[in-house]
Amino acid sequence: MTHEVRTPPLRPTAVAPGQTAASAGLMDYVDAGLEGLWHLLTSMRVAMVLMMVLALLSLAGSLIIQITADQAGDSAMRAEFLSMIQPRYGGWTNVMVAGPGAVTLIAGIAMLAYGLHRFSKRGELTWELGTGVAVAALGVLVLATDTLGLFNVFNSLLFRVLVAGLVISLVACTAHRIPGVWRTATKPRVDVGASFFEHAPQHESVVVHATADETLATVRTIFRNRHYRILTQSDGTVHLYADRFRFVAFASLAGHISLVLILAGAIIGTTFGYRNPSFVIAEGSTIPTGTESGLAMKLVTFTDTWYTTVADVPSDYASKVELYKDGALVAAQTIRVNDPLTYNGATYYQKAYGQAVVMTVKDAQGNVVYSQGLPLDQTAGDGSGRDAGTIQIPGASDVLYVFGTTGTSDTTIQPGQVRAVLVSAANNSTIADQVINQGKAQTMGNYTVTFDRESQYTLLSINRDPGQILIWLGALLLFGGFTLIFLLPQRRVWARISSRGATSVLSVASLGRRDAALGTDFDDLVTDIRAALQTPAQG
Amino acid sequence: MDKMSGYAFVAAGLSTALAMVCYALYALSGLRAARVQTAGVPTTSGALGFVSGPRTAAIGRYATMLGWLATVALLAGLVFRAIATGHGPFANMYEFSLAFAFGTMLSYMYFERKYHQRILALVALPVALAMMWYASTIPSTIEPLVPALQNNLLLTVHVAVAIVAYGSFSIAFGAALLYLLQPEGGRWGLPKPQVLDEIGYRAVVVGYPFLTLTIILGAVWANTAWGTYWSWDPKETASLVTWLMYGAYLHARVVRGWRGSRAAWLLILGFAAVLFTYFGNLFFGGLHSYSGLNTMN
Repeated sequence: MTHEVRTPPLRPTAVAPGQTAASAGLMDYVDAGLEGLWHLLTSMRVAMVLMMVLALLSLAGSLIIQITADQAGDSAMRAEFLSMIQPRYGGWTNVMVAGPGAVTLIAGIAMLAYGLHRFSKRGELTWELGTGVAVAALGVLVLATDTLGLFNVFNSLLFRVLVAGLVISLVACTAHRIPGVWRTATKPRVDVGASFFEHAPQHESVVVHATADETLATVRTIFRNRHYRILTQSDGTVHLYADRFRFVAFASLAGHISLVLILAGAIIGTTFGYRNPSFVIAEGSTIPTGTESGLAMKLVTFTDTWYTTVADVPSDYASKVELYKDGALVAAQTIRVNDPLTYNGATYYQKAYGQAVVMTVKDAQGNVVYSQGLPLDQTAGDGSGRDAGTIQIPGASDVLYVFGTTGTSDTTIQPGQVRAVLVSAANNSTIADQVINQGKAQTMGNYTVTFDRESQYTLLSINRDPGQILIWLGALLLFGGFTLIFLLPQRRVWARISSRGATSVLSVASLGRRDAALGTDFDDLVTDIRAALQTPAQG
Repeated sequence: MDKMSGYAFVAAGLSTALAMVCYALYALSGLRAARVQTAGVPTTSGALGFVSGPRTAAIGRYATMLGWLATVALLAGLVFRAIATGHGPFANMYEFSLAFAFGTMLSYMYFERKYHQRILALVALPVALAMMWYASTIPSTIEPLVPALQNNLLLTVHVAVAIVAYGSFSIAFGAALLYLLQPEGGRWGLPKPQVLDEIGYRAVVVGYPFLTLTIILGAVWANTAWGTYWSWDPKETASLVTWLMYGAYLHARVVRGWRGSRAAWLLILGFAAVLFTYFGNLFFGGLHSYSGLNTMN
């Protein structure tokens, strides 16, 4: 936060005589280009503009409906999404799709035009030329590839490029600052020259009726009382350098680098992590978790509790589960919304729940081919809003669809009933379609189907995220770094004592803070020094 | 307890309004004193240039006392509310609005103590008053917590930290507004531009780490309750927008050509982002949609 680079115009340096003009000129252009790129990357102005553009894009993303990751991954679903939102945004839909790319392209062209204008006028090759070409190219690329635009802000190419740009600028800035910060902390300049004491933003001069050594001793005490580190040099004139919180500059670097850690964590998480947002399991069932081989989860019970004092407000969702590794119980816990289960790096979260039915299916020989809770986690395709579940009969191509009731007002499927539809997947024909009562065995095709009882299923989300450790480490650095910068502002003061016989002249100067106009610390310091020096002189 | 918190909030509203009147009178008599001073009559001058006569100082003291009274009343109301509900008073828009008002008042009183610029009250107090007025228009019934909110520690800390951030940002907004309002060089008995600039910066310096912490704690909580530390939920995104805005502001202060009024404009935009984040629940739904206003149910 204490560093600034102004991007200078890139001028091709003069070609040295005797060299072949063409190749030297080219190399010079490359040199100047690279130098310009470095200036651009380390420019705080660029970082600031990137932050503001990202803020603007995010704002759009929080206001406009965003497509889900599932929908975005499938071209048919993408088209469906766009046609669904068409009535809502009307003609603006296309504008919103093409907007980000178009704006980028226009911005690039504008920069390029400005750069060309300056070139034609003054013959200067400026950063606007290169940047303009790059931005315009990005705009064309986004226009050509992005079919969702503002409806998919956070996964868009443009957003990623901007984030990458910000991170690169951040790394470049930090790298640029490290040597200076290191030098300041370890080998600061003690002798800064006489003119510094006349031109520094904050400076004071005092004539003291004491020798240089006496003055130095007094000044030293004052700095020591204020917990400054003091360094001195003497060449007839005494030079003094004092600083406080010199390591805070490293906190600033850490605070900035933490963002890289967080981004790295996010990338690692999405690349190497495992995520199942909807792991559905009915009461009594045991299902492989998919996180590692041989691991299965059993839902013992699911309980939803509701407040009795207020209508329709849930008070608790609790899934009592057991984890089995190769048949042996390894973990058991009641998972609640704020109390997930973690086993072997994977975490299981309570997400949702719903109605399940316990079904038993026997084949023609009377063998039980299916007997467990069936989650009705699908929705019937007929628009009735009924919950539905699917049983793939093991060892056969037949599929049994089960539909639940919508409640007491449902006249077709009443509470205590389900509708079962047996379909032959071989020729896609319905074999049997019946509403069956609870507890009564019903013959359907070659099978006997029983609706034993109602139960519930729970929907958990499973997440294994190896990048998380980086996220939390980054968060810690981010908060710690920023807090330290603001809590312990770094202070640096130089002093110079030159003797003239019995009197000496003490000059004190400080750079002040670039980010705060009113530094009262320096004034306090000078007041203290004056007070300490004047007492013996007057007495 | 619930009733007592209601009474405390009414008392807070009244004392804020009264304090507001006193601050306005103070500002007016300050203007008069400034004119008198230019006419050559000696007056005492405040620490940072604000001119004050004896009567002005008295009004100012009353204003400050009323301001503290309002702050304490708000705190008492929040504490009673917390006792009545059994959790941190931050679970719905009613509680959160009053907490916002408290954050603004507390930040204002802190900055008044530190910089002796009572004129800032002319922006900060209306913000607090508007929050209290808004709270009085929405239902104050105590709703039980849905499962996602049943994390007393995180509910209290996450939102309390947010309140401090928002409170500081409203002071920064006040300073920026006054900065932009006054003509070149400063006039109208307003604080010097450098002082306003400094106050705005200090307020952001306090608020920014707290906003960062709010977002981090939000991520921790989201990771515990929903299984993902970041899901581009509208409220999350809006808080990120706010964070980026103030981040840009902090950098703007050390970039030539951005200091002064451009930085002040960033503070205004930042506060707009704060309000957007704050009221966002009402129109963008998402995972934070438990405002107690039945927009989702």
